[in-house]
Amino acid sequence: MVRANERLFYGILGFIVIGLIWEAAGDLGLYRKSLLSTPSLVWTAAVQDFGSGAIWPDLGTSFVEFALGFGAAMVVGIPLGIAIGMFRRVDHFVSLLLFGIYSTPKAAIAPLIILTAGIGLESKVILVFLLAFFSVIVSTVAGVRSVAERHLDIAHSFGASRWLQFRSVILPSTFPFILTGTRIATGRALVGVIVAEELAANQGIGHYIELYGAFLQTSRVMLGIVLLGLFGIILGEGVRRIEKRYEVWRQEIH
Amino acid sequence: MSVESASYRVIYPRVRRRRSPIARWYRSNEPAVLGLAGLASFFILWQVASNAGLIDDLFFSSPTAVLQAAVTEVQVPRFWSDVQYSLTEVIVGFIASLVLAVPLGLVIGWYRRVSFAFDPWLNFLNAIPRPALIPLVVLWVGLGIEMKTIIVFLGGFFSIILPTVEGVRTVDQGLLDVAHSFRASQRRVFTSVVIPATVPFIAAGVRLALGRLLIGVVVAELYAQTQGIGVMIERSADVLDSARMLFGVLIFTLMGVLTTGLAGRVERRFQRWRPSANLDLEEGV
Amino acid sequence: MAASSELALSARGLRMEYRDRSSDTRLVAIETMDLDVGDGEFVSLLGPSGCGKSTFLKIVNGLLKATAGEIRLRRSGTGREDAMVFQDAALFPWYSVLDNVAYGLVCAGVSNADARKRAAPLVELVGLQGFETKYPYQLSGGMQQRANLARALAVDAAILLMDEPFASLDAQTREVMQAELLRIWNAARKTVVFVTHQIEEAVYLSDRVVVMSSRPGRILADIRIELPRPRLLEVKRSAEFTAYAAQIWKLLASQPAAADSGRHG
Repeated sequence: MVRANERLFYGILGFIVIGLIWEAAGDLGLYRKSLLSTPSLVWTAAVQDFGSGAIWPDLGTSFVEFALGFGAAMVVGIPLGIAIGMFRRVDHFVSLLLFGIYSTPKAAIAPLIILTAGIGLESKVILVFLLAFFSVIVSTVAGVRSVAERHLDIAHSFGASRWLQFRSVILPSTFPFILTGTRIATGRALVGVIVAEELAANQGIGHYIELYGAFLQTSRVMLGIVLLGLFGIILGEGVRRIEKRYEVWRQEIH
Repeated sequence: MSVESASYRVIYPRVRRRRSPIARWYRSNEPAVLGLAGLASFFILWQVASNAGLIDDLFFSSPTAVLQAAVTEVQVPRFWSDVQYSLTEVIVGFIASLVLAVPLGLVIGWYRRVSFAFDPWLNFLNAIPRPALIPLVVLWVGLGIEMKTIIVFLGGFFSIILPTVEGVRTVDQGLLDVAHSFRASQRRVFTSVVIPATVPFIAAGVRLALGRLLIGVVVAELYAQTQGIGVMIERSADVLDSARMLFGVLIFTLMGVLTTGLAGRVERRFQRWRPSANLDLEEGV
Repeated sequence: MAASSELALSARGLRMEYRDRSSDTRLVAIETMDLDVGDGEFVSLLGPSGCGKSTFLKIVNGLLKATAGEIRLRRSGTGREDAMVFQDAALFPWYSVLDNVAYGLVCAGVSNADARKRAAPLVELVGLQGFETKYPYQLSGGMQQRANLARALAVDAAILLMDEPFASLDAQTREVMQAELLRIWNAARKTVVFVTHQIEEAVYLSDRVVVMSSRPGRILADIRIELPRPRLLEVKRSAEFTAYAAQIWKLLASQPAAADSGRHG
């Protein structure tokens, strides 16, 4: 398809061109290198830190914090969200509360969490969990709410048991929404990791960025940022691909 | 056929119960009643747990303590300057992002190839968690209110520009054909077809931006420690004054509820006419 | 004519009211209905939007409960007496055609493997052989409604309730489906209660056309269609056909058009 190739071509072209402009502007002294660094300097820093292995512990720590908190949020949030969505009264009961907590920037509680759980792994995991959990649960509840009444009618019409209704209608209908909630939650979880590390940590990419920021080593700051951006994109794209596959399951029946 | 009739299944009508007016009022307002009950239960449980010593007062405080802290705080001028500080970051950052992202997005999206070229970088920048950008921005402008405003601005900017570009790109060719067949000028095509068609996309971006506004404020303030509600929170936490700290969190909750509620309004007003997946674009961090 | 003198369905004094919660006003969807349907008959319920015809089907099927009145369904030995063919968006997008058709059986407790086996010949019957593993989004509207029909047939209920199944199809497909339906009905020998608001469709398909008034719904007329079977599409141009259609049209023309878009129709 011509469209897709065009998109790829100009995408790569644009990427390279802007990268070159960045490099040129830095090398020509159009701005102070300490402000934005240049691609070549960032690359050098990458080679150094990856080569010496200095950056791996930081990457590992951040990743573990992310995985644990995010994983826990999904394991707890999805079933809970489904349960809430399925019982209308329970849904109404918790909805105002959920909305309030969901609207609160959880990062504001970060100092409290660090105070109670210390500066180690636990506090980061807790914060990541809180940030991801509420995204997941709100999306999941919304998914259950959006189950087409028509489909439930069909299940009811053919005499499906409650359990079969759940398996054959509610679960498949909710799945695309769970995926969307997961995608949003990955972004939030990543924020949690970095915030917690910036506030109190001695490892992790957030700490890495902050540390080198204090030393005015902009290229390393940029490196950390680039790595995080890459991670965010890979995660986001990954989930989005899966979302697209199940897009047909999402019904808009009005 | 047989002399006796075959057996039948009978379907009976619904048994109607007379309901008292109270019961009827409850039925039609059930969601709100239950919701408020849930909220109330939360606070009651919290207070009870605190009184009974089930949770550590030092860390979790209690509703009454937070209320007392609130009463004290609102009489302190420093509090109000903090509120003003935080609000300024939010409002200025958001408006700036709106004012810059929409025109830029329209222009970039209009030239298809240019939009393809910018796509990778825009998506990349959007995927960067904003806390990670803070040290960089600090290098640029220091720890003052500019830094926080820029952080808020960046979040809003990418949230809005990406859907806007997408919206312009996907304007219905049929509508453009109509404009062209009436020999409309470039400008007229833009104002009469492109912009109205893109409005739902811009609205989606604004909705995303509103939802993410506060994260930027909180995170930036916690990092910089100069002024603002975030600082109030950090300082209270440092001296284990959890009541005052939670009051600060409550202020952010209030702001959050307002912005999220506003976001919901925006969504409903500009009615999504496409399945959610398409408009739930690029929710970066 | 009915295969036997037994009644498959008998409704007496049926009434359906809705109370609008917020304004506390009453909406009468069906004022009163007495209806008998003989075994093996093809009966159409015809009327303007909102006249209660779909509501009637839903009450029979158990999706709604009537305000007053009773309905008797003749018991068949095998599970449910009735099966519904829904209007649109009636297939689960996450199941293949075969699994969709087998769904009614699975609901009745049949194992997945057995249900698929029993569903397979029905997929053939409705002309969808070769599409068993396809998903609904890969099918046209007409094909989806065939699968919809097959699903209802699979549970082997004596009474088929059809709620404007061809409403969302284009004119050509619609005609094809009407002929197909008659072919299948002939083969399967079910009782059919068919809801439509198209006069042509009702006259073409049915033994009897029950004409309903606009809301509040009640039966205006019960017209026996004495056209010979099997009916080919050409019969639509015959004089008798036109006469029936004209008669019904006059009846309906005296009815006010419904105010809303037949949400409860």
